[in-house]
Amino acid sequence: MAKRIVVDPIPRIEGHLRIEAKLNESNVIEEAYSSGTMWRGIEVILKGRDPRDAWAFAERICGVCTSVHALASVRCVEDALGITVPNNARIIRNLMHATQQTQDHLVHFYHLHALDWVDVVSALKADPKQASVIAQSISAWPKSSPGYFKDLQQRLVGFVESGQLGIFANGYWGHPAYKLPPEVNLIAVAHYLEALDFQKEIIKIHTIFGGKNPHPNYLVGGMACAIDPNSDTAINIERLSMIKKIIDDTQTFIDQVYIPDLIAIAGYYKGWLHGGGVGNYLSYGDFPETSLADFKTLLWPRGAILNKDLSTVIDVDPRDASQVTEEVSHSWYTYAGGDAKGLHPWKGETTPKYTGPKPPFENLDTDKKYSWLKTPRWKNHPMEVGPLARVLIAYAKGDPMIKDTVGLVLSKLEVGPEALFSTLGRTAARGIECKQTAGFMRHYYDQLVANIKTGDYRTFNSEKWDPSTWPAECKGFGYTEAPRGSLGHWIDIKDQKIKEYQIVVPSTWNASPRDANGVSGAYESALKGTPMINPEQPLEILRTVHSFDPCLACASHLFDMNGKEITVVKIV
Amino acid sequence: MKYNRINVIGLGNLLYGDEGFGVTAIRSFQASSSYPDAVQCIDGGTQGIYLLDFIESCDAVIVFDALIPLEYERRVYLYRNEELPAFIHRKMSSHQMGFSEMIGLARLRGNMPKELVLIGIPPKELELNVGLSDEVALLLPEAVEMGKALVDGWLAG
Repeated sequence: MAKRIVVDPIPRIEGHLRIEAKLNESNVIEEAYSSGTMWRGIEVILKGRDPRDAWAFAERICGVCTSVHALASVRCVEDALGITVPNNARIIRNLMHATQQTQDHLVHFYHLHALDWVDVVSALKADPKQASVIAQSISAWPKSSPGYFKDLQQRLVGFVESGQLGIFANGYWGHPAYKLPPEVNLIAVAHYLEALDFQKEIIKIHTIFGGKNPHPNYLVGGMACAIDPNSDTAINIERLSMIKKIIDDTQTFIDQVYIPDLIAIAGYYKGWLHGGGVGNYLSYGDFPETSLADFKTLLWPRGAILNKDLSTVIDVDPRDASQVTEEVSHSWYTYAGGDAKGLHPWKGETTPKYTGPKPPFENLDTDKKYSWLKTPRWKNHPMEVGPLARVLIAYAKGDPMIKDTVGLVLSKLEVGPEALFSTLGRTAARGIECKQTAGFMRHYYDQLVANIKTGDYRTFNSEKWDPSTWPAECKGFGYTEAPRGSLGHWIDIKDQKIKEYQIVVPSTWNASPRDANGVSGAYESALKGTPMINPEQPLEILRTVHSFDPCLACASHLFDMNGKEITVVKIV
Repeated sequence: MKYNRINVIGLGNLLYGDEGFGVTAIRSFQASSSYPDAVQCIDGGTQGIYLLDFIESCDAVIVFDALIPLEYERRVYLYRNEELPAFIHRKMSSHQMGFSEMIGLARLRGNMPKELVLIGIPPKELELNVGLSDEVALLLPEAVEMGKALVDGWLAG
């Protein structure tokens, strides 16, 4: 009989991402349903507020992606009001954004996703000498002696024996889908811990430019930091050299740790190429070399690919009402003009209407409405956004750096480009992109230093700060490519206040429920056809969902003294 | 001074009613005190792993956060050190990284501060809304004072 399995992270607090999968008799996923079970509703909170304050609210939607929402928000207000930011502000924003991307990808790989491929408990059985030989054969990274791995292993053993490895207690350790030898597991665990140190350093760039971290300061019209090479309190020579050191260390870590680990781990999994999904890819593009409006100069190109056809990248215009739309035929909202008709975000509506079961419940009625996420579509196509989409679009457009790195990874793994259309390909794309954004950090650092040398210290354009200079009504679109994909903020300003605000986040594209035609979004499609070894331990589902880097569990972080199991798996 | 570096961290989401308790508390803590630089106030929002540095880089940490206590009563709770659970759960998203996982990681790495205190109040309302419920707002000054008394003691001791 067909089984239905449910993976729900926090059933106790309502919210977050829930996956329901129908399996056939051979435990292959026949259908999957992705549901966002918490309403975010930021649009309602922003109505009537001063548009210059919107970023400070928008950055609270998400626990991790604070600065990307702040960035998209100031960009949409500037677009509406016709504000051009000074060159320094453009460069600093790009540098901060490249920093965020790089840090986020590293943390995602090591601290969320690696444990879908790496068996921590198996590392206890590793031969530290052999681990050292392997580590030295794949990288010049200095922390690779037998003694280093032996010490680490003893520390892990100590934790397990004292019962403290309760901190990793809920893994599916020993699951047959884990394929790495104990020594590679040990190397990966070592780098899991090293990456923690590393991510603490890299984000100091946000503190330098944003005044504080987390929640760095953004500003409509520019950036709030002062530049003065000779001042103690401004961005000065000392701070710039600190940034340079962080960038040097970042590039070394990615080249010597992240990329070699990725290739080493992927080598054991290249037979597991499930999780491809919709095969349509979208990117708004980012990293403007001039202004955002001139999207031909974006270092990350804008475009769309349909049906995995890498020979054609189609032009994209998110302002065009016929291109980006959201419908709510399977979402707990209602539209005045009918739920199945897609609305462009400038015409968007946010009227919640919950018709689902009362929690706690066993199953969602997936024939009807089953998610708090809307269903975004590009020209009516379901699209995947994120690192794989961006890498494929850049690859198809012939970006030399991306072509080189993709070529290197594919040749080391001895697979063709078609292997990219998979969960593993998505994971590889994130690493490839991380190497690229670390390069962008250096690029923008160099740009900033060169610009300061010309004597240009300006970071803020105050021309239209005063609301009396604004038109009676105006609309704007602000975009960025967040670590997990295309993020758009659309604003309508009337009488100096926010009349309407709509946000389409990357995870809404990827995790959307079905559309009115019953067509699945990226998560749902990617899960289809995946064989499960043991439905009670749905490691394969987590692997594919994690590969998208979901952003859905961030609204609420209560401290639970009970420390109960969070992600629950049920077979019903 | 007993401790040279003290971090006071407020956690939570300002957009969800009482979930914003910790961040509101840290703002009130900061506004109503004038401590030396040894005491840093941090608005941690709902960041997870990115807060690890703030735990590991000092001698003592106070965290304000909405919490679910073992036995439920609406009052201010204070937990110290070993009373705090540390675990790393399997999760759907890196955004699910909670503070208890940071404690787990700091323990694994051998970087725990000498003192770690959680001060919290169980939420009444967790709806999309900026602002605390009356019940939680009423208890907030007491929570902030508890934090200040601890810091005063550490600075004097």
